[in-house]
Amino acid sequence: MKLNERSVAHYALSDSPADHTGFLRTWGGPGTPPTPSGTGRRCWFVLKGNLLFSFESREGRAPLSLVVLEGCTVELAEAPAPEEFAFAICFDAPGVRPHLLAADGPVAQEAWVKALSRASFGYMRLVVRELESQLQEARRSLALQRHSSCKAVANRCKPQALDYWSLGLENGHSLPRDYSPVGLGEEGGSRWAGRALAEGVLQGPANLLLGSGQSPVSPETSCFSTLHEWYGQEIVALRRRWQQRTQGSQAEYGEQAEQDRS
Amino acid sequence: MRYNEKELQALSRQPAELAAELGMRGPKKGSVVKRRLVKLVVNFLFYFRTDEAEPVGALLLERCIVAREEPSGFSISFMEDPERKYYFKCCSEEQCQEWMEALHQASYEFMRRSLIFYRNEIQKMTGKDPLEQFGISEEARFQLSSLKE
Repeated sequence: MKLNERSVAHYALSDSPADHTGFLRTWGGPGTPPTPSGTGRRCWFVLKGNLLFSFESREGRAPLSLVVLEGCTVELAEAPAPEEFAFAICFDAPGVRPHLLAADGPVAQEAWVKALSRASFGYMRLVVRELESQLQEARRSLALQRHSSCKAVANRCKPQALDYWSLGLENGHSLPRDYSPVGLGEEGGSRWAGRALAEGVLQGPANLLLGSGQSPVSPETSCFSTLHEWYGQEIVALRRRWQQRTQGSQAEYGEQAEQDRS
Repeated sequence: MRYNEKELQALSRQPAELAAELGMRGPKKGSVVKRRLVKLVVNFLFYFRTDEAEPVGALLLERCIVAREEPSGFSISFMEDPERKYYFKCCSEEQCQEWMEALHQASYEFMRRSLIFYRNEIQKMTGKDPLEQFGISEEARFQLSSLKE
């Protein structure tokens, strides 16, 4: 089976976050017998997401091996040599041999077993979805609180704040791909508010708000502050991707979250 | 780089996020478009000959670049060589959009960023770390410091 090995190796060496690193003894490898024996080979291991790479050394410029951590469990194991702190990555699929590894001590062993057990894509996805629905909840209750505590100042920000929160995550269809920030007509206003929530770009809409005679110190503007705070360089990428995501899948996630709650 | 093909083959049999028959053309000069069953599973894109059970190949999707290629197609390339593209032809605009959106989200790194964003938003709004209830708030993969870009 072909694999985009060059790209995989590039990813392994890139500055993308490593979830765990350390020296481990390994028994797989070219020229090794099918049944592990001896003391194994000491390699530098790097866990990135659901991918476990090994290198000859910390400075290795090319990964020696890749293990894809999907459909597997991690268990403590007996090593061929005594007093090793061994564990094995075992696959559900038939015919796939377990990977035997050993750490330098019990602390490292436990840390690796934990890190590898939670490395799957599915686990990460579960946590993301859980937090996503928690955030929806938090936003909904915050909007309700603010709505009920706001007095009737003729303030166009208020209805938009409600639409803002509810449109942002629940109804991906309400987020137009192309929008023209033209004034604050009811429909146009709520549409750009939803889009702004998704995109996290608030300079334009905030200016529009202030420009049309809203008070910059109105209590409602604090509902934008959450997003304003995050308008920072390091998450521009996140917002862009999140916006694309909300355009596509939010309807689905919203439904899923509803189902999970009922 | 050594890897276990059987691990990847087993993964290719897992339920897919998205699967369809698409036209596919490799990055090499002179490649022709072939019909392939393309299957998105976690952060891998597998492609099969339409009548075979084992994939011809797999693409790891971390740090990939997904671009629109007219008409109704898209390409996947990678950061170290953005012009070296795998081309895919869809049967409609909708299908193309569907695939591009799915591929944008099909990376561990994307999920990590989403999670960190949500975690911090919830923390600011509620004052509580939502990961504490699961006992995982100290895990490296969930830390803001792991975002470097």
